Amino acid sequence: MTARQRFLRFFHERPQLKAWALLAPGLTWLVVFFIVPLVLMLGYSFMPRNVYGGVDFGFTLENYGRFFDPLYLKIVLKTTLYALGCTAVCLLLGFPVAYAIARGGRFRNFLIFLVMLPFWTSFLVRMYAMMFLMRDSGLINKTLMDAGVIETGFEMLSTPFAVLTGLVFGFLPFMVLPIYASLEKLDHALLEAASVLGAPPAKRFFRVTLPLSMPGVVAGSLLVFIPALGSFLTSDVLGGAKEILVGNLVQNQFTSARDWPFGSAASFVMMTLVLGAVTLYLRVRDADEAMGK
Amino acid sequence: MKNQRLPYWLTLGVAIVFLFMHAPLMVLVLFSFNDSKFSMEWKGFTTKWYERLAERQDILDGLYSSLTVGLASTVIATVLGTLMALALARHEFRGRRAMEALLYVPIVTPEIVVGISLLILFMAAHFPLGLGSITVAHVAFNISFVAVVVHARLQGMDRNLEEAAMILGADEITAFFRVTVPQLWPGILSGAMLAFTMSFDDYVITSFVAGTDAATLPMVVYTMVKKNIEPSVNAISTVVLIATTILIFVADRAGREKPLTAEKAPVE
Amino acid sequence: MKRKDADREFRGFLEGRVDRRDFVRRLLAAGASVTSVAALLEACSGGSKEPPKPAATPSAAPTQAASAAATQAASAAPSSAPAPASLSDLPEIEKELHIANWSDYIAEDTVSKFEKESGIKVKYSTYESNEEMMSKLQVGQAGYDIVVPTGYIVTVLAAQKLLFPLRKQYLPNFKNVAGLFVNPEFDPDNAMGVPWQWGTTGIAYRSDKVNPPPDSWGVFLDAKYKGKMTQMDDLRDTVGAWLKFRGKSLNSTDAADLEQAKKDAIAAKANLKAYVSAPVKGQLVAGDVWIAQLWNGDTAQAKVEEAKIEYVLPKEGAGIWTDSLVIPANAPHKRAAHEFMNFILRPEIAAGISEFTGYGTPVQPAMALMKNPVPYPSDEERKRLEYQKDLGAAAQAWDKLWTEIKSA
Repeated sequence: MTARQRFLRFFHERPQLKAWALLAPGLTWLVVFFIVPLVLMLGYSFMPRNVYGGVDFGFTLENYGRFFDPLYLKIVLKTTLYALGCTAVCLLLGFPVAYAIARGGRFRNFLIFLVMLPFWTSFLVRMYAMMFLMRDSGLINKTLMDAGVIETGFEMLSTPFAVLTGLVFGFLPFMVLPIYASLEKLDHALLEAASVLGAPPAKRFFRVTLPLSMPGVVAGSLLVFIPALGSFLTSDVLGGAKEILVGNLVQNQFTSARDWPFGSAASFVMMTLVLGAVTLYLRVRDADEAMGK
Repeated sequence: MKNQRLPYWLTLGVAIVFLFMHAPLMVLVLFSFNDSKFSMEWKGFTTKWYERLAERQDILDGLYSSLTVGLASTVIATVLGTLMALALARHEFRGRRAMEALLYVPIVTPEIVVGISLLILFMAAHFPLGLGSITVAHVAFNISFVAVVVHARLQGMDRNLEEAAMILGADEITAFFRVTVPQLWPGILSGAMLAFTMSFDDYVITSFVAGTDAATLPMVVYTMVKKNIEPSVNAISTVVLIATTILIFVADRAGREKPLTAEKAPVE
Repeated sequence: MKRKDADREFRGFLEGRVDRRDFVRRLLAAGASVTSVAALLEACSGGSKEPPKPAATPSAAPTQAASAAATQAASAAPSSAPAPASLSDLPEIEKELHIANWSDYIAEDTVSKFEKESGIKVKYSTYESNEEMMSKLQVGQAGYDIVVPTGYIVTVLAAQKLLFPLRKQYLPNFKNVAGLFVNPEFDPDNAMGVPWQWGTTGIAYRSDKVNPPPDSWGVFLDAKYKGKMTQMDDLRDTVGAWLKFRGKSLNSTDAADLEQAKKDAIAAKANLKAYVSAPVKGQLVAGDVWIAQLWNGDTAQAKVEEAKIEYVLPKEGAGIWTDSLVIPANAPHKRAAHEFMNFILRPEIAAGISEFTGYGTPVQPAMALMKNPVPYPSDEERKRLEYQKDLGAAAQAWDKLWTEIKSA
């Protein structure tokens, strides 16, 4: 028997081992460079701060305790609101787009390409493009002034409106694609049945299309909510750095404040919010699957 | 879905959303040819901002770094991710659900947390920062995306061909390389493309683990954006935009049979 | 804990035999986390170029174990231990030199001139923030021979034993340094660094839009220019300005001072367009911003594009800063680094650098060689200028203050 045959036979007889052998390299990488760092960070969040960066040895809950300060609670709340607002607007804009694409006939592939184009473009470049439009002397103001609609440019940049617009602009494709994917899978027979039974279009939409696209809606919402929660570039570039979101708070702790433990704690507060969202997603998905069966 | 005509108000609304998604980028491209350093007025056509790009060593270096990291991390992540996808799609084993959950951790972790926690690890482990650490980081967040994309592909794949090959006397390795891989190729390629683009575009994570030696293209662009607002930034953005557009086309060709998006949506 | 034990621990963790929390606690407590993880990393990454640094010795106090700074200290080469009493000579000049500096912060021909004259091959890297550079040094990665920290960062690096004390015997040109930059508070006796460039943080304004010209930080409280003003996106600069406004030190840690500064900053925030540092130049030129807290050198760069931009040091006082060339403790080419330092202290070289950067040169005789040198502050102005110092433990309180200002 050749070495090759022996090798194949060895694994053939041990299917469990074979699965783990396939998993091992990727798994190791994920554990060492993803899980271990997170665990280290969790460890840091319970340690006292070292004045020059890093941590001192010890155990403290103070870093989490600080979040009960109304100041930081407010930041967490504000960040959550921004993320929720962004998700809601994305849903409002993204659903019709996904719906139109799913019914787009021969333009479908081209429309998908159009949605993906900004999606594959650097987030940074897109934020810059937005800033370019919204500046006092930017194109929007300039056009409006030239057209005589307004006399002096109005301030768009450095407002919560700018931040929200930037977030929506940045993450909208994340909403469109999953909704499209679930609409595409929609069973035509169901719609036709509804139609045959005399349901008007609006009713067909709300009773059939919408419920059946729920998995896409929830997945899209999750994909928008998470990066919106962690974003810090948008509020810096478009918000004029006049607000602090959790992302900025984390960043500051690891740079100017040199308060690693507090920054780690803030990261885990953020992760908790993310996990909350994921749990909600899984609930909905499981409920959905249970219903499907 | 049936191809009924959409109501006109919906078409209009969707057109406006598309405008919102693309107008900023189109304006950006347009003004990269504007012959004025700061003004928003059109002062004439010029390519001088592009010429200025070619003179800048930091941009060329950044491009080189981005390509190196992108290629290296894509190859590693694609191989590791594909293997993981194979295990998940083809084998029953204990701890499977936990493994699937683990795969989603990188997808749902906010970038800033990824970047900082990796920096903590690198500092604690005295791991040198540079192109190596950037590549390691990119592989870490890309494995999952590749695995999810390839996994989706595997689930829709017909196993009969493989079995036929085995019946005809091919051993498992031969069947894998001759049958499975060619069949799976579009999935692998679109996973790889996704990985490459994510690597090529990443700023947040890279900026934490880069140290000072290596600046990838997004880092150079960020510096340019931060420092001054001159049309060179528009020019470099245009170049990046066109490069990624070409990439999408290539990826789309590779994944012809199915629209790429269906595989892309990671949580579906 | 020896490395082997750590590895066994690690495997135990991977295989689920060891409780996760327990594992981390033990690993961190041992201080050997560093090597075991490094060994594992090495195994996975196909071997890094550098062998892992020896971990903190078992005798190291546990309080130091988890701190990157402390491990660094333990692993620093013996030759780099500070020996202020007798600064020994260095071996002969190495043939290579690796410099890491802020981007756009040197004349285009400085390095090539140095290479030609000395025969030393220079590798030149750039970075964008002190933190970026510090994280690199804290990782303990050898490689840099010269880095360029801002003022008080020298103090921080020195406190972590990350710097190599200068051997003044190789720096005869140090005599050219102007008195203002000798023996700065952040680096007593210039033990660690040679001054590179200096500047002040004042107010830039558009003379065609702002009348009368501002002369006080109080201008940011004036609603007349609401929406046309910016302060820097940096807590030290912005809070510092408001401390100065009330005649306090910009390094104050006094709770009452800080409370007042916070009130002023919040009042001014209503008038501000944004907190933004260097990028405000473009907006000043475009006329989106009329009054900006800014560095003098950046103002000079913007003035090249738009002549109507002026700069003023507020009457209440302002910040002055100096960036210094320093040598990391583990630099491989320390003698060559001294050569470079001595080189840039030459008047004609220093003049060339400052002509390019737009910032002031600390090299006194270079002033006469420049077209538009940034004048040294007059005695009267000097009284108004203050260096930033490291805040140490108070950084936490300052950061909270900044968070409060931004959340207001």
